[in-house]
Amino acid sequence: MTIRIAGGRVIDPAHGRDGIGDVWIGDGRIIDAPPSGTADATYDAAGKIVMAGAIDVHSHVAGWNVNTARLLLPEFHRAAAPRPAATPLSNAGWSTFATGCLYAQMGYTTVVEPAVLPHYALHAHLELADIPIIDKATLAVLGNDDFLLGLMHGREGAAAIRDYVAWTLDATHSLGIKVVNAGGSIALKDNVRQFSFDDVVPQYGVTSREIVKALQRAAHEAGVPHPLHVHCNNLGMAGNVDSALATIAAAGGLPLHLAHLQFYGYGKEGPRGFSSAAVRLAEAVNGAKDVTIDVGQVMFGQTVTISLDTLRQFNARHQARPRKWVMLEGEANGAGIVPYEYRASDFYNAVQWAVGLELFLLIDDPWRVFFTTDHPNGAPFTTYPEIFALLMDRDRRAQQIATLPPDAMAVTTLPAITREYSLAEIATMTRAAPARLLGLADRGQLGPGAVADVAVYADERDRAKMFRAAALVFKDGELVVRDGAVTHYRWGRALGVRPGRDRAIDQRMTRYYEERFGLSDAFLKVPEHAIGRPQPFELVACAR
Amino acid sequence: MARAWIGGKPVALERALAEAAELLAASRCPLIAGLGTDVAGARAAIGLAERIGAVVDHMSADVLLRDLAVLREAGMMLTTPSEARLRADTLLLVGPSLATDAPELARWLGLDGSRRHAAAGQRAIVRLCPGRTAPPIAGETRVGRDPDQLPILLAALRARIAGRPAGKTGVAIKAVADLATLLKASRFGVAVWSARDLDPLAIEMLCGIVADLNAHTRFTGFPIAAGDNAVGVLQACGWMTGFPMRTGFGRGYPEHDPWRYDGARMVAGREADCVLWISAFRTASPPWRDGPPVIALTRGEVALDGAPSVQIEVGRPGVDHDSVEHLAQLGTLVAVAATQRSETMSVAEAVAGIVRALPGAGPGEVAAGSPTRTRAKFSTEAAR
Repeated sequence: MTIRIAGGRVIDPAHGRDGIGDVWIGDGRIIDAPPSGTADATYDAAGKIVMAGAIDVHSHVAGWNVNTARLLLPEFHRAAAPRPAATPLSNAGWSTFATGCLYAQMGYTTVVEPAVLPHYALHAHLELADIPIIDKATLAVLGNDDFLLGLMHGREGAAAIRDYVAWTLDATHSLGIKVVNAGGSIALKDNVRQFSFDDVVPQYGVTSREIVKALQRAAHEAGVPHPLHVHCNNLGMAGNVDSALATIAAAGGLPLHLAHLQFYGYGKEGPRGFSSAAVRLAEAVNGAKDVTIDVGQVMFGQTVTISLDTLRQFNARHQARPRKWVMLEGEANGAGIVPYEYRASDFYNAVQWAVGLELFLLIDDPWRVFFTTDHPNGAPFTTYPEIFALLMDRDRRAQQIATLPPDAMAVTTLPAITREYSLAEIATMTRAAPARLLGLADRGQLGPGAVADVAVYADERDRAKMFRAAALVFKDGELVVRDGAVTHYRWGRALGVRPGRDRAIDQRMTRYYEERFGLSDAFLKVPEHAIGRPQPFELVACAR
Repeated sequence: MARAWIGGKPVALERALAEAAELLAASRCPLIAGLGTDVAGARAAIGLAERIGAVVDHMSADVLLRDLAVLREAGMMLTTPSEARLRADTLLLVGPSLATDAPELARWLGLDGSRRHAAAGQRAIVRLCPGRTAPPIAGETRVGRDPDQLPILLAALRARIAGRPAGKTGVAIKAVADLATLLKASRFGVAVWSARDLDPLAIEMLCGIVADLNAHTRFTGFPIAAGDNAVGVLQACGWMTGFPMRTGFGRGYPEHDPWRYDGARMVAGREADCVLWISAFRTASPPWRDGPPVIALTRGEVALDGAPSVQIEVGRPGVDHDSVEHLAQLGTLVAVAATQRSETMSVAEAVAGIVRALPGAGPGEVAAGSPTRTRAKFSTEAAR
C-alpha cells in the first residue's frame, strides 16, 4: 500500500525542510517517491500543513494514580450525567479509550506516561494497552525506594546503581528513569515536611542532590537515550526558583531533563510575596546546554493534580477544590491526588499561567523546551491547541492578559514579551526535539525510514482551531483521523529500553524481594503475555 | 476439554456458547454479575456489556462501595499491608472481621513474629471492638468489645484527639483518652478496617481520625480488600469507563449508579431479564433464589442454587491459566503464573466465545447498527 500526501507545506525540522511537497508512505514507513510516481491512495494536502505525528514527553494518562483520580471524581466524568459540553473536564476524556482518541485527533501519535512506580508498572501497562491508536511509553520512578537508598547508604558505587537501573527498566518495560522529589517522599514518612536539594533523608543519610546525581550518572552510563527526568524539590512554593537553579547547576555537563519547570518558577517578590522568577530560570536554562525542560503550562479551569510527590501533595491537601483528596504511601514514593481549580481571578493562578508562557518565550532554543501541561496537573492535554495559539500570537496573549488581575501581571514580564512562535518552532518543540530527547530515531521526522506517523492540518488563521482537529492523521501509515474525527481504531505499542547489565543483580533482586516482602520478584515484572494484546511492546536501542 | 451444560445436561461447548449468546441477544436488560474473575476476564466482560447494553456488577460491590463512597465523598489516606509491616509503630486494628476477611493479615503485618523493618522499633497494637471471640495477639491492647459500639467509639476518639470532650460510649472515658494519647504519640501509625464491619459514616469517621492525626504526626490506613479480585475488577472498570462496577450501558454510554445498577436489586425488581454470572475463583452462587435465566461461567460442575440455564466451566485464574489480579499485600495488580496449567478455558476466552456467537457478528466484525459502531470512541470490541 503506497500512500501519497500531495502538495502540502511539509514542515520537518529534523531535516531542515519547510516547503511545498509530497510525503510518501509505504508499508507503515516514510519512503522516497517511488520511480513509478503512482500511489494506491492519494490525499490532497494543498493549502494544508504536513508534520510528523506529535510526541508528548510528559502526560499522566495511565496507572493507579490516574485511575484513583477517576474514581475520586465521578462527577467530572463526561458520562456521569448528560451535561453541557463546557462543564469541567467534560472534554478531558477519562477512559483510556477516550484518551487515545483525543490525542490522535490533535495529531499526537506517541505519549509518555512519566510517573510509574515499579510496583505499579503492570497496572500502568494494562491501561496503556487500552489506550487506542497511539504509541505509549513509561518512565520508571526511582529515588525514594529503599533498594536504591540502601545501595547509596552502603556506598556500593556507580556500577551497582547502574545495574539496578537497568534491571528496573527491563522489569517495568520503561523508556527511561524519573526521580520525583528525590528523597522527599520517603522523608515524609518520617514526618519531614519540607525537603530541599541538600537535605538528608532520615535513616539513609543521603541527600536529594546525591540521589539525583547518582541516577543521572546511572542512566547516562547505562546508555539510556533519555536523560534522567527530574521532578525537583519544593514544587509550587514561593521562592522555589532556587531549587530549580540548584538542580540545573548540578547537571555538571551530563544531560538532565527538568519536568514541568513552570511549577518552579516562583520568586518571593511583590506585595504578596509571590512573583515570577521565569527570567532567572530561563537565563539558567539558556546557559546550560545539557539541560532540557518541559513547561507544565497552567490553563484556567477545573482539573486534578496527580503526583508521586507525596510531600508536595500532602502540603497542598487543604487547597483541594473540591475538598477531597487521596494520599497513598506504599513502597517508595506513593502518590497524592488533589483536585484543583485554576481561577483566572486568582492572583497566584494568574502568575502561574504567566510563568509558563514566559518560560516558553524566554528560552531561546526550541530544541530544549518541550510542550507540556503536565497533564492533568496544569491543565488537561486537550488545552494544547489553545496554548499553541497563545505562543504564536501576541495579540491573543494581550487579550487574555487584559482579563487577568493587573497586580499578578505586574510581578511577571509576560506583557512585555513580543516573541511569537513560528510553525517550524512548534514542529520542533512537539516533534523533532522530543524524538531526539527520548532516543526515538525513527519518529518526530518525515525522512525515508521513519515510522509513518503523519499529521495534516488545515492552515487556519485560528491556530487553536487548526491544532484541535487535524484534517488527516496517519499512524504507522494507517489513516486514523479524518477532519478531526477518529475513523479507524487500532492498537499501538509501548516503547521501552533494555540496557545491558551484570546479571548478578537479578539474583540479588530475587533475594531482596524475598527478604523484604516475602514475595517473588516475579510479581514486580511486566510480562508481555500479561498485557493481553498481540505485540504490545517495542524495544528502543540504547547508546551502549 | 471444555465442559458445558444446558439445563443441567452436558452439551458441546459450541452449543452452550450459542445458547448463551442467544439468551443475551434476546435480553432487553442483561446483567453481568458475580464478576469474580481476573483482569482479562473483567476487560472481556465489560466489553461484552458495552456491546449488548448490559449492566456490570461484582459480588463484593456492597462492601467495596462502602470504602469507595468515603473515598469519593471525603478522600482517604492509604497505605499497603506490606508498608504497614515495615514501618508502623502503631497498628489500630478495627472491628471483628479482619482475620476472616484477610486470613493472611497476621503474616502481612508481621503479627506472627515474621521479619519487620529494623527501624520500626517497638510497636503498639490496639484492637478496637474485636468482638467477644477474637483470639488474642501478643502485646495487644483492646478498647471496646462489640462492633456495634464502633460508630460512637470512633466519634468519641476523634473528639478526644481534637481535645474536645466526648460523651458516654460504653467504654471507660480514660481508655478512650489513653488511646487518643497513644495515637497522637505514634510516629507512623496505620489503621486497618474491613468495610464489612463499618458503614460509610463510620469509615469516614475513622478516615477523619487518620487525617486529623496528620496535623502533627504521620498516620495512614488501609481497608481489607474485598474478595474475588474485586479491586482488580474495580481498576479495570475504572480505566475502561471512568466508573467503578455498578455501571450500565443501556443507553450506549457508561452510567454509574450504586443503587440503580445493584444486580440483586435489579433481579428482585424484575428489571434484569437475563444474567451472566461469573465466579472463577470459586463457585459462588448468585445471592438470589428466583430470577431470570442465568448463564454461569464457573469452576467445574458444581451445583449452583437454582439450575442455571447454561453453565460453562472455566479455569481458576492463576491456577489453570496465567492471570493478572490484585495482590492485597502490595496493593497492586500483579501477573500470576499458572500453578497447574490446564486446558480449561479462561473467563476471557469464554466471553470471547459468546461474543463470536452473538447474532450479526462474525469474528472480528462489529454488528451493523450496534451501539459500538457509532461509539467507536469507547469500545474495546470496536477496535480492530
